[in-house]
Amino acid sequence: MDFYINALKGVLTFGPIAAMIGATILGVFIGALPGLNPVMAIALLLPLTYSMDPLVALGMVAGIYNGSMYGGAIPSILLRIPGTPASIATTFDGFPMAEKGEASKALKIACYSSAIGGIASAIALMTVGPLLAKVTLLFGPAEYFWIAVFGMASVGVMVGSDPVKGLMAALLGLWVGTIGLDNLSGQARYTFDQTWLLGGMPLIVVLVGLYALPPVLQLAEKSDFKGLSAAALKLQAVPFKPGELREMIPTWLRASGIGISVGILPGAGGNIAAFLSYNTAKNADKDPGSFGKGNPKGVAAAECGNNADNAASMIPALALGIPGNVVAALVLSALVIHGLQPGPQLFQLSPVLVGGFMMEMLLTSLLILFLGGALSTRVFAQFQRLPGVLLVPSILILMCVGVYVINGRAVDLWIMLCAGVAGYFLEKVNVPLAPIILGMILGPMAEQSVRRALLISRGDATELVTRPISAVLAIATVLVILWPIYKAMRRKSSLESGAGLV
Amino acid sequence: MERRQDLSLGAIFVVLGIAAAWGATAYSGASGIYPMVLGILLALCGAIVLIRAIRSEIAAERVLIDAPVKLYAAIAVGVIYVALVVPLGFYTSSFLLMLALPFALGFRRYAYALAVAAIFTAIVYIVFSVFLERPLPREAILTLFGSGG
Repeated sequence: MDFYINALKGVLTFGPIAAMIGATILGVFIGALPGLNPVMAIALLLPLTYSMDPLVALGMVAGIYNGSMYGGAIPSILLRIPGTPASIATTFDGFPMAEKGEASKALKIACYSSAIGGIASAIALMTVGPLLAKVTLLFGPAEYFWIAVFGMASVGVMVGSDPVKGLMAALLGLWVGTIGLDNLSGQARYTFDQTWLLGGMPLIVVLVGLYALPPVLQLAEKSDFKGLSAAALKLQAVPFKPGELREMIPTWLRASGIGISVGILPGAGGNIAAFLSYNTAKNADKDPGSFGKGNPKGVAAAECGNNADNAASMIPALALGIPGNVVAALVLSALVIHGLQPGPQLFQLSPVLVGGFMMEMLLTSLLILFLGGALSTRVFAQFQRLPGVLLVPSILILMCVGVYVINGRAVDLWIMLCAGVAGYFLEKVNVPLAPIILGMILGPMAEQSVRRALLISRGDATELVTRPISAVLAIATVLVILWPIYKAMRRKSSLESGAGLV
Repeated sequence: MERRQDLSLGAIFVVLGIAAAWGATAYSGASGIYPMVLGILLALCGAIVLIRAIRSEIAAERVLIDAPVKLYAAIAVGVIYVALVVPLGFYTSSFLLMLALPFALGFRRYAYALAVAAIFTAIVYIVFSVFLERPLPREAILTLFGSGG
């Protein structure tokens, strides 16, 4: 309990409170603009947080994350354009409600559901996270090595549509992580006598390029010249029927449970949580036929599900150093920026920071209740009148200012540009980007752990797999990698037997 | 399309992996073994993608670029911007980018673009130079007029 009381004392000061309020508003705005997404916004924000207090920086990350998950519902409901990938399921019933003149009501439901999902998820993080961290106190260098490898393998295999390309991306990230001075021997690797490479490939610069530039290039390709008309953004107040909100409680409970479970699993994201919650609500309803035609429970399930994924995805990230999704990987990057090594020791070494961040996830979910809703939606929706083509240079400028202020080097701008263009094409050929960043974050930890473990065992490699926990983690890693191969072989044999029957 | 893309992707990663492994031979002891193993695994994954693409008979449609002219225009303007940020100064080059990039993409409402460029540049100046006091590349125009800037 002291853990949270101390953390709360840190959070309830002017800096973190102002950061949370400002970032939640900014998050709703980012979520509401199709083409902008939370990952891009957090990537843009991170370079600016270098000189800030870590709790202020993490408060901003929490606000943007939770705010944008709700913000995505605004264009989903008003225009059937999902603001973020996680709000696709919100369009199914949100837009039909808007067509019936109930847009204001749908937005209120989205607001309440997002807040409830976020709060449930933050409570799960606050209870499960520290427990999991206690287990990890038993870990030595061999276990840390396997945790890093397991994290990369599972995200690499599960995050994209092609496991081989996912693993390839993780290996690329690991290799990029070796560029620069080797921490253990002091040897320069892959630096080609360039002094600017001695410190390694700058993580945040690559991250901003990989995550912010591809959506900007896609916006450029779309080149929206008009923006939206004022008429499309008009709202009419519709009151709730008696008992209507009470009827949604089972939907909220189910969606929260589903979102939290999906969040803990590595690789799955808010969009999967929203789809699963929506389908479960539909199947459990007395009138499943009304879903897709403007059933408020459809909006409630989707929005509660996608917000319940948020804080839960931080459980493996904070306790094990394995991010469940890209935003969790960005939070780990934020910790690295402030000199903290993600992973099991984090709860021991920086309890106020970890506890504070959990509190911030909870408080920003609560803030949605006050900052969301129909009135603020009217304001946020107005930004959609801006032609999309003008967002392209604006975001590019923000990327450049963010990257330049890190080291004050022009070369970082070129690295960002190259990483961004590479990211654009890699995504197009189904190579996921998250494992690259994860490899860069976890690579140094994996290398140092394996080399320490081998030093302790005097070069005996069997030590890596003979301790019970490391053996379990090694087997889990092999299973994670072999599972897609087994699935592919089964699919092939069933296809062949199907063809044989014909 | 998809087959050709995967052939190129696999080949790029095979070359990158071999180059990384070969480069690692120059580093002594454990410093070299780890990146060498990574290079070999990277080349192996690339080879799997390559072999799969060679054996695949389906040439499914997968569009690499939706609007090539606009994409190349955006990248070209972006490259010029990055090249000009230091010599011209951050705000001058950013203001020019706000006008040039929408124009290159076909936006022709000049007054609108000018107004947004002026407002946005002013906001960026207030946030980054006034509030956050971040050092950004100095404006060449100020040096030209001999101001301290």
